[in-house]
Amino acid sequence: MIQAPPAIAFDNLTKRYRNFEAVHDLTLHIEAGSICGLLGPNGAGKTTAMKTLLGFLRPTSGSVAINGAPVTSSTFETLSYVPETDALFGELTVAQHVDLNRRAQPRHDQARAEELLGVFGLDRRKRVKKLSKGQKTALALVLALASKPRVLVLDEPSSGLDPVFQRVVLDLMIDAAAEGGTVLFSSHQVGQVERAADHVAIMRGGRLLLYNNVDSLKGQEKIIEATFASAIPDLNGALRVEVVRRVEQAGNMVRISVKHDDGEIAQRLAPYNPTSIRIVDRNLEDIFLDVVSEKS
Amino acid sequence: MAAIFTVDPRSGVPIYLQLIEQVKRGVALGTLASGEQLPTVKALALELTVNPNTVARAYRDLERDGVIETSPGRGSFVRNNGTASSELRSDVAEPALDNAIRTAKGLGLDSNEVRRLFTRALSRWYPGEES
Repeated sequence: MIQAPPAIAFDNLTKRYRNFEAVHDLTLHIEAGSICGLLGPNGAGKTTAMKTLLGFLRPTSGSVAINGAPVTSSTFETLSYVPETDALFGELTVAQHVDLNRRAQPRHDQARAEELLGVFGLDRRKRVKKLSKGQKTALALVLALASKPRVLVLDEPSSGLDPVFQRVVLDLMIDAAAEGGTVLFSSHQVGQVERAADHVAIMRGGRLLLYNNVDSLKGQEKIIEATFASAIPDLNGALRVEVVRRVEQAGNMVRISVKHDDGEIAQRLAPYNPTSIRIVDRNLEDIFLDVVSEKS
Repeated sequence: MAAIFTVDPRSGVPIYLQLIEQVKRGVALGTLASGEQLPTVKALALELTVNPNTVARAYRDLERDGVIETSPGRGSFVRNNGTASSELRSDVAEPALDNAIRTAKGLGLDSNEVRRLFTRALSRWYPGEES
């Protein structure tokens, strides 16, 4: 069986500025129809990775591809990008922006644009400089989605939006994916990724620390909480295994966060006679915080 | 109809498992009648604001388990003569009992103590029945 190429592919991508490596050896494949949420602290390399994917920055080494092909100007007929900072013209009105988009984008669908303006409640006559930050974000999204793109790359698509419109943005991504489109979006809000994304990528310091299906990840990552009758024995040797992310102690309790629980840790603890062992589920925020705070 | 499902995305329990549990519960209790049509993947994903592939995964697993059937172009339906309601009730209840026992075992209770607690709980919830 011939497999379709991933909709979005980074292969061993490195992007270096003078003395600073913004992205290091990033390999990430996002399948068509998938929504991938990109999480990471500021400076993780999220924006650089996106800009390199779109050809706005030249890779230092490695490569990127959209639907198996290098990015060219025709890629943008079916791909839309919403940058972190708006690329709008302050003196032009909302309607003039839509008009510009109609002329520049061959697949612009005016009915869809009108529908989206309504969804976000944008006033067509208003000049962009009079719009709030959230309204500018909304306008950028309207322009991006008006061409019904097959691939959407969104850099913090809900910044400045109130919770109602944040939900609208998630629904627009979900709608796109349900029609077979592919979405890569970065966010600081783990809850958005947890809802809308099927896959999560976590970056820190230019490196990809984790890429997995969100539900599979939740099924794997656990906290094992063990208590001991008196002082905690020296467990260092027992817990120095690859599966352990972090060990915390509080009183006579030890909390071990593990990448997956197959009973190995409980077995390793058994000789120390814990009085109780509890296995706790973790949500994406817990996992994210653990992954980014882990020593490299 | 879709409103009968709710998910908690912030829970540590995978969303597709939450959905599977709810559909099984619905069928077991008859709130989802046999032959009843389920929302499309897209409709349910938008209704709950969750990822469509996650909904599709739940539907695939439910189909594999014989709870629903999907015919291309028509949609997904609760299966006629599908998994018996009593069996589904057990399916939904078993993980809860499993959890309870795991908690007890984790606290260091041995099987005799757990059995004693279980019998006591049984007589509390099924008063008047000999155990």
